[in-house]
Amino acid sequence: MKLTITREALLTPLQAIAGVVERKQTMPVLSNVLFVAEPDSLTLTGTNMEVELVAHVNEGLAVESPGRITIPARKLSDICRSLGEGTQVELALQGDQVHVRSGASHFTLSTLPAEHFPNVEEDAESFRLELAQADLRNLLEATSFAMAQQDVRYYLNGLMLEVGSNYLRAVATDGHRLAMSTLAVVTGSEEVRQLILPRKGTLELIRLLADADTSVMLVFGDNHLRATLGAYTFTSKLIEGKFPDYNRVIPRGGDKTFIADRQSLKATLQRAGILSHENIRGVRLQLQTNELGVFANNPDQEQAEDSLPVDYVGESLQIGFNVGYLIDVLNALEGNNVRMTLSNANSSGLIEDVDNGNSVYVVMPMRL
Amino acid sequence: MSQRKIIHCDCDCFYAAVEMRDDPSLREVALAVGGDGGRGVVATCNYAARAYGVRSAMTMSEAHRLCPDLVVVPPDMARYRQVSRQVMGIFRDYTPLVEPLSVDEAFLDVSETELFQGSATLIARDIRRRVREEVGITVSAGVAGNKFLAKVASDWNKPDGLFVVLPEAADDFVRALPIERLFGVGKVTANRLHELGVSTCNDLQAWSREQLAERFGRLGLRLYEMSRGIDPRPVVVSRPTKSISVERTYGRDLPTLAACEAALDELVTDLALRLKRKGENKPMHKLFVKLRFSDFSTHTQERIRNLTVLPQREDFLPLLRELYGDARRPVRLLGLGVRYRVDEPGEAVQLRLFD
Repeated sequence: MKLTITREALLTPLQAIAGVVERKQTMPVLSNVLFVAEPDSLTLTGTNMEVELVAHVNEGLAVESPGRITIPARKLSDICRSLGEGTQVELALQGDQVHVRSGASHFTLSTLPAEHFPNVEEDAESFRLELAQADLRNLLEATSFAMAQQDVRYYLNGLMLEVGSNYLRAVATDGHRLAMSTLAVVTGSEEVRQLILPRKGTLELIRLLADADTSVMLVFGDNHLRATLGAYTFTSKLIEGKFPDYNRVIPRGGDKTFIADRQSLKATLQRAGILSHENIRGVRLQLQTNELGVFANNPDQEQAEDSLPVDYVGESLQIGFNVGYLIDVLNALEGNNVRMTLSNANSSGLIEDVDNGNSVYVVMPMRL
Repeated sequence: MSQRKIIHCDCDCFYAAVEMRDDPSLREVALAVGGDGGRGVVATCNYAARAYGVRSAMTMSEAHRLCPDLVVVPPDMARYRQVSRQVMGIFRDYTPLVEPLSVDEAFLDVSETELFQGSATLIARDIRRRVREEVGITVSAGVAGNKFLAKVASDWNKPDGLFVVLPEAADDFVRALPIERLFGVGKVTANRLHELGVSTCNDLQAWSREQLAERFGRLGLRLYEMSRGIDPRPVVVSRPTKSISVERTYGRDLPTLAACEAALDELVTDLALRLKRKGENKPMHKLFVKLRFSDFSTHTQERIRNLTVLPQREDFLPLLRELYGDARRPVRLLGLGVRYRVDEPGEAVQLRLFD
């Protein structure tokens, strides 16, 4: 294999792939990126056996002799990044080493044979859906923060995607809070389908998605989700298992609804949160007519008292929350005003944008 | 807070007292209640036996060696529990605020009791009289302004005694206390305190809160308070169960891991019975296995499980294997249990969406 490529044509896909490649590998070949050079195209592949990312390059490229080889992903990406902008890079395989040359720079990297590189097995396609990258990105960004991390309930360590005939919905929960966002889109699906995309796959997919109208094709398989977007083909294994019935935990009976300015509420919570217990992060909300008080204290007997004006008329209520969970929601929302609906100190709170009901957030309180 | 009035009542050698009450022939002998047959352990013994140096938790063979004439009676827990209910019932005639610590011991908060013009001393005296007359055993009582002092006081004139720490005398009383009398001070802490030249609460009072916290952590803070006679803990009427366990000391050591595994079934069944009867209606946070080898070294291994169904043999097996390791030593005692998550008052609890 021998080829010449512009630094930029190589660096962009390499950096995307380096995100998939994990730092600690059990199989050495998994820290490598697979190069497949054809006469007029180059394909780069990285995988961690759960998520696979394939990048297709056919511009800024001249292949002198085709071939297949795997090269350490992170080192090659670091080398590429450190080279001057707009330079040409030559990669040439000699024996079991690859020579990387650019101007006066010359690097010799170890390789592993392409045959050692694992393939993600193909599986039957059951459904496909095309949508704008920005829409999918918004959907995932609105919800992914609520995914669990290394929970024994393995099915929570990911994001649930649900397709109905006229919507695509994302739901994530760690058992304490839940985020749900729905995109109105005619999908043509005759049944309601659900799949759980693992945490890593979700985060990598978000990194790939552009904030633009260019399209992404989602292909649903029995065990995989594939996303094709521009030069990339992203494939992730799915988490097997049943996602909890999210409808059951979205509260309907709340009778204490207030409206607050999103940024002011966030700032007030952040201020009070400074003096909450650093691990537990509990704050006490005191809701009363047109005012929301926020209180926090910590084991050092330090305390914070703050308040902000809100639109509220009704019974007073005192309720505790993990301030981090509330701030996460206020970061995920985008509008100026938020509506929070509560019922009592032991029942969940519902948070939404006042003008846009696409995303809803449920947060369980904390007994303080 | 206004001055509280706390009574600590402690039945004198409870199991033995019940046996002596029910069998007059046992009243004049040195008596121990516990498993006999060489491997048993003394659960309780009467004062005649204590005169020979017999103590609870001692092996029965050791007890026999100290006191060759020792009479041993096997424990009859059902009968003791029944007597305990009767005694606790008497306590509750004086105040609803009764906190049992075990079958034979309880704290009473009589701050609001109007009987005897609110005199805790007279209440304690009356309780002692009624238990003696109605139940036929003796109770020692301590009266003080908090739990810590009341507990120390009940031990002061034991057996069959009453000791009152009046508020104005509390300070002198505490200062004179040897540190071994403090809650949470065992041999190790006592030795460390002695190394610092501390042998009484008076000595302890010379140390600041920070110095004690630095050396003894949380216990240090408690030491600081106790040495000044401070103990704000309230009398808690019902405390949540923290753990439920069963254990068995074997008449013959279990020689191998395989023998321990074989013995597991019986314990799992016993534990299931106890859980059905006394279990809390919440997830079992941890499972644990306890092993005591023939050299008396005792080890436990626990694992977070949050089980909502009765634990099975398979749940304990890995813990047992881990614990036994490659010990190749005979096992004297095997125990199993579950621990619940106890939400300390004042501790924040994040509520869950799916439960």
